[in-house]
Amino acid sequence: MDFFVVSLLNGLSYGLLLFMVSAGLTLVFGMMGVLNFAHSSFYMLGAYFGYSVGRLTGFWPALIVAPLGIAFLGALIERYLLRPVHRHGHAHELLVTFGLVFIIDELVKLLYGNYPLKNPMPVELSFSAFRLFGLDYPFYRVFIALVAIVMFGAILALSRFTRVGLIVRAAVRRPHMVEALGHNVPMVFLGVFAGGAALAGLAGVVAGVFYPTGPSMAQELGVIVFVVVVVGGLGSLEGAFVASLLIGIFSSFAVGVNWTLADAFALVGVAGADLWGGAFTVKLSTVAGAIPFVLMFLVLLLRPAGLLGERQ
Amino acid sequence: MKFGVLTAFAMTAVAAFVGTPLPAAAQLKVAVIENLSGPGSATNRLFAVGMKNGLTLVNKAGGWKGQPIEYLEYDSQGSSSVAADKVRAAIADGAHILVSGGSSAVAGQIVEDVRKQNLRNPDRRVIFMNVGAEASDFTGEKCNFYSFKYAMNAEIRVKALVTAMKAAGALGDRVFSINQNYSWGKDMEAAITRYAGPMGYTVVDKVLHDVSKVQDFSPYVARIKSSNASTVITGNWGSDLILLVKEIGASGLKVQLGSTFLELPGTLSSAGASTLGYYTADFYLPEAGGAAAKALFDRYKAIAGTLPTTSEVKSVVMAQMLQAALANVELGPKVDTTKIALALEKAKVQTPIGEISMRAADHQAAVPLVVSVVSKDASFKVDGTDMGFKPVKVIPGPEAISAVQETCKMDRPS
Repeated sequence: MDFFVVSLLNGLSYGLLLFMVSAGLTLVFGMMGVLNFAHSSFYMLGAYFGYSVGRLTGFWPALIVAPLGIAFLGALIERYLLRPVHRHGHAHELLVTFGLVFIIDELVKLLYGNYPLKNPMPVELSFSAFRLFGLDYPFYRVFIALVAIVMFGAILALSRFTRVGLIVRAAVRRPHMVEALGHNVPMVFLGVFAGGAALAGLAGVVAGVFYPTGPSMAQELGVIVFVVVVVGGLGSLEGAFVASLLIGIFSSFAVGVNWTLADAFALVGVAGADLWGGAFTVKLSTVAGAIPFVLMFLVLLLRPAGLLGERQ
Repeated sequence: MKFGVLTAFAMTAVAAFVGTPLPAAAQLKVAVIENLSGPGSATNRLFAVGMKNGLTLVNKAGGWKGQPIEYLEYDSQGSSSVAADKVRAAIADGAHILVSGGSSAVAGQIVEDVRKQNLRNPDRRVIFMNVGAEASDFTGEKCNFYSFKYAMNAEIRVKALVTAMKAAGALGDRVFSINQNYSWGKDMEAAITRYAGPMGYTVVDKVLHDVSKVQDFSPYVARIKSSNASTVITGNWGSDLILLVKEIGASGLKVQLGSTFLELPGTLSSAGASTLGYYTADFYLPEAGGAAAKALFDRYKAIAGTLPTTSEVKSVVMAQMLQAALANVELGPKVDTTKIALALEKAKVQTPIGEISMRAADHQAAVPLVVSVVSKDASFKVDGTDMGFKPVKVIPGPEAISAVQETCKMDRPS
């Protein structure tokens, strides 16, 4: 029981962090059709910007300023790198963002050095929220979860219930018609891309003080956010939300499970499979990291558009 | 390919002949093949930096009987296939000794390439000096007369760590083993299990996890908690260690922790005060070495501009081992790598924390270890924090070294 509750809470908070990082990615894809490989680089830059700004102003102003900085950077990238290649098709946009990953990686190493930074949590957030079966549950995990939920609600409300959301959704479906109605469609796309980047930046500031702020941050989350977006359905915000929670919870529970293939065989009456060795004796906890990929594989096989994605 | 290598070698030789007047004796070339640009290069490249500066120090101290040793550098990008190309390039460039340390996968490739090179080109044999790749099969199944391991292994580290922790009363009797799921982590897990009986603890639970992929260690901390362990022992490094330590700290779980890579740059600064009181076992710590260590550090700083990290010190000491060996090898018109290898077996270096020697039976170096604890009283502060490593126990090389593995069958030159 202890383990169940603790694992569930840990899985939820990790899942919500995953959502924070992948929200911008799925949003940009849904609205612009651009699969942005550099998205987790924006997340890393957010952590570093947050660190730099935070040293001058403290954590709270950095929480606002750093994402704005990333949004500005995102806008520049959209305007001067993506827009010129847009007419050549999606493959070119993909390659531009892929190249950006390497450039941002190296820039970060040049400016901030090769090793993780000393980026401590603000004292006012560094306390235990509650004690659960002898373990403190850091309040910061609750904070991460709150930020993610607020983010989810805000994006949803913005796109569903506001005029801005209406124009953006219309610009995706019928760009020429929207343009004819007098809206500046390229400007809309610029705003969406900058917004997506800002979301990643915000996630970076929030996560950077909890997880190490280091040059391998982007790489560590880079693949998993794609898995989230694919499982959830490319472009679906709700899908990304569900998928990140699923992946968070699955990974968290898998760590505590010592089942092997041999045990599964024993269940159906084939005893002694553990003597075969090899893959039959690998514990589920050892391959916990592979679970998101198994999930992605199953989803692609059974429901190619993703859990909540629209069928093309 | 063999033809290509030979031609390239011949061309280099001709170029050297035409371009510059040949020196009386052939120059010894040491080629470092290290991950200088791939993932993890931040930590791995320190071995190359240390070797470069180590050879500069050696050359200042007279090199090989007055002749300087040449340093060459190749980027493996952390990949064994790239490393294989670089081994060929280095040999074509005339390298006699190859050096690597950052990764056991890359080092495994080099060991194999060196074995083949020496088998096929008996007149052009090369030596491999392994400074930091700790997989234990380099001195077991893969042991080879031309391959020398100055790196430790999991058994050496764990033995030193648990011995010192037990003596300090910090070991406890319920140990949780958490390691990365590849050769190093598996070696660590095996060693932790092996020393349970002799050291009087039980391994209450063990787990392997993906390398550098786990972002959230809280499920592992929950598992440590539910195992009711008193001590966590881990071979984790980099973000896997930082995240684990931070998560234990954040959960308020009271456990002791023994590790092997706490001193890598960035670890203490990033993991913060949670590391206080934790143990680590490694080859070198400045405080344990006293005045002699300070002198070495100052000499290093004079040429490098910064104080050396542990990885750099390992390379410097290995360069000194090479120089000690070369003192017993005559200069000649051709570099005789077999004679150098024989001399390397007998070479000894007095480091500030004790003597290093090479065991001829399996080419595992007997390296002294320092077990230390993270403390605010340490005289050398790390990473710009107020913390550093306070030595608890120095374990001399002959005591620290692990037994010769039965799988090691070494063909010695007749």
